[in-house]
Amino acid sequence: MSQTDKIQPHWWSKTLAGVFAGFFLALGLVGIFAWVGPTGLTEQITPEQRSWKTQFNMWMITPVWCLILSFVYMFKTGKQAWFYLGSSAVLSIAIVYALRSYL
Amino acid sequence: MKIRSDILRTYQSLHTWTGITAGLLLFIGFFAGSLTMFSSAINDWATPPDYQLPQVESGQHDVLLQQVLSLNPEALKGVSVSFEEASSPVSWYGHGSARGFSMDDQVWHATLNEQGDMITELRHVNELSMLVDYLHRSAGIIGELGHDQAGVYVLGVAAFLYFIALVSGVIFLLPSLVKSFFALRKEKGANRFWLDSHNLVGIASLPFHIIIAVTVIVFSFHDLFYGGLSQVYGDKPMFGGGETHKEIRYELKDLPSLDDIKQATLTYAPGYEVKSISLSRLTTAHPSATVMIVSERTLMRGPHNDYVFMNPFTLEINSSSVTSDHGQQGIWGAVVTSFFGLHFGSYGGELGRWLYFVMGLGGAFLFYSGNLIWLEKRRKKQSTKQSRSSHFMANLTIGVTLGCLIGLAGTFAASKWLTLADWNINIAYMWVYYTLFLSTMASAFIIGAARFSIIGLSLFIALCIMIPLNSMIALALPSIGIWSPNSMADFGIEMGAIGFALAACYALKRARQRVYEGEVDSIWYCPKMSKQPHVRSRVA
Repeated sequence: MSQTDKIQPHWWSKTLAGVFAGFFLALGLVGIFAWVGPTGLTEQITPEQRSWKTQFNMWMITPVWCLILSFVYMFKTGKQAWFYLGSSAVLSIAIVYALRSYL
Repeated sequence: MKIRSDILRTYQSLHTWTGITAGLLLFIGFFAGSLTMFSSAINDWATPPDYQLPQVESGQHDVLLQQVLSLNPEALKGVSVSFEEASSPVSWYGHGSARGFSMDDQVWHATLNEQGDMITELRHVNELSMLVDYLHRSAGIIGELGHDQAGVYVLGVAAFLYFIALVSGVIFLLPSLVKSFFALRKEKGANRFWLDSHNLVGIASLPFHIIIAVTVIVFSFHDLFYGGLSQVYGDKPMFGGGETHKEIRYELKDLPSLDDIKQATLTYAPGYEVKSISLSRLTTAHPSATVMIVSERTLMRGPHNDYVFMNPFTLEINSSSVTSDHGQQGIWGAVVTSFFGLHFGSYGGELGRWLYFVMGLGGAFLFYSGNLIWLEKRRKKQSTKQSRSSHFMANLTIGVTLGCLIGLAGTFAASKWLTLADWNINIAYMWVYYTLFLSTMASAFIIGAARFSIIGLSLFIALCIMIPLNSMIALALPSIGIWSPNSMADFGIEMGAIGFALAACYALKRARQRVYEGEVDSIWYCPKMSKQPHVRSRVA
């Protein structure tokens, strides 16, 4: 393996990508789940069911975000981390926005 | 298992730096957290025996409640009825409230005497467990931010680092995991031993640690997450919605009896036992009853109990933390409840509490040993002069860990004496804890970690022994006004103190060897005072 294939440290840029892009990606993924997943937002449910499902959705942000934060250092460079996480975050938030507007 | 060397190197650095930044904060959180498993025993132990008024016979609670409500209008806002043997039958807040963090809460206690007349007393809430819980949630970091203590957010950030440290620790341990998991190599030197036990404890309690890390983050940052979710939800309501509230004023005389409320609860949640009922906003349009119920056979949502919320007049159940055939929690509610229960260790009764106590102490050990390994790695071989950062970290590690231990032991040792004077006991606790913690920190930096570890451990042992010693003094000289244990739980606290003293004695013996007879190039080496009078200048 040549030097350029190895993981570069890039601690700051990767960490920031994990914190910011990672948060929005986690929120986007949970958002998609909240809209189209089981007991989704378009279904008719009782207030109690809604309360539990909302709590569940809120809880899910953390594990997803934490996993992103833990594995963001696998990207070879900070730029790649920002590119892949950033574009997935934008995409997932765009999907949520579309679901919010059309459902 | 084979993992690319650059990944291993990356995650090794990650583990080192996340661990060293978050470790000491988490040490305090875990040590205090393991004590909170016994918070009701701690409060009971720290409260004078006559503090709670005598319980009334079953069936008399209604009579007492009616008298309280008719004579004390402020109790209409919120009053609780307890069926537990060791607490006053009826109580309500005279100052402050059950929510939030306040040190000058005062509570009215009420009971009936033998003639059936009501007796009331106003008392400060003595909550030694509140200090422990405060340290558990904030690591003792002073200051407020928004509606919570600043320390809660600091620990929330530490929990992110902790999660990353767990993942990275597992990754860079994987290649050697199978080979060395159960190995505890004592003969290969102290460093190897610390490393092996660090890995063993870490891997063995990994699921516990993952749960704790995730729940702490949620406890600290749920406002942020709900804020984000509300954007995702758009116009859809997050909670409630749909139902229409009829504006009904309820008349107090229509309040069903406590037995009716109990019955409604037990029909909803069979197999539980009702611990207490809190009634609030009784004369408003939104009256509410919170019924606290316990069961040792299920995972409970709260630290000590489950809840059922109902309208006390209509006995309609609004919500609950119980998964019941009558409820609508479903899988989502069950998962959310599990997260809470798995953090609080509120399942499995007494055994579950002990297990969490041990795992909490195991966590504290994990962070302490992690710092020791860091120090050993940076040791400059064949040199008595170690780097300044090593000395700083050693001082900080010893200062914080022993500071927390000494602070808590000192507060417990002083607790009964502090009740003798007429001041707010909770503020007195804070003074004792912070004085001991800060002076321990200062001493560790002035004297140096190596020598101070011996002094500090000795002081900790002395304070632990003080705790049962106080009870002996109470037995020998009852006129002083302090008291000795009067229940198994109280006795358990004192046995626990002796247990900590014994463990510290062992640690002291090992620390002595490390300091006086250990390798000369170790950060812990210090010649005896008598042999080298100029030692101070070297350490400083």
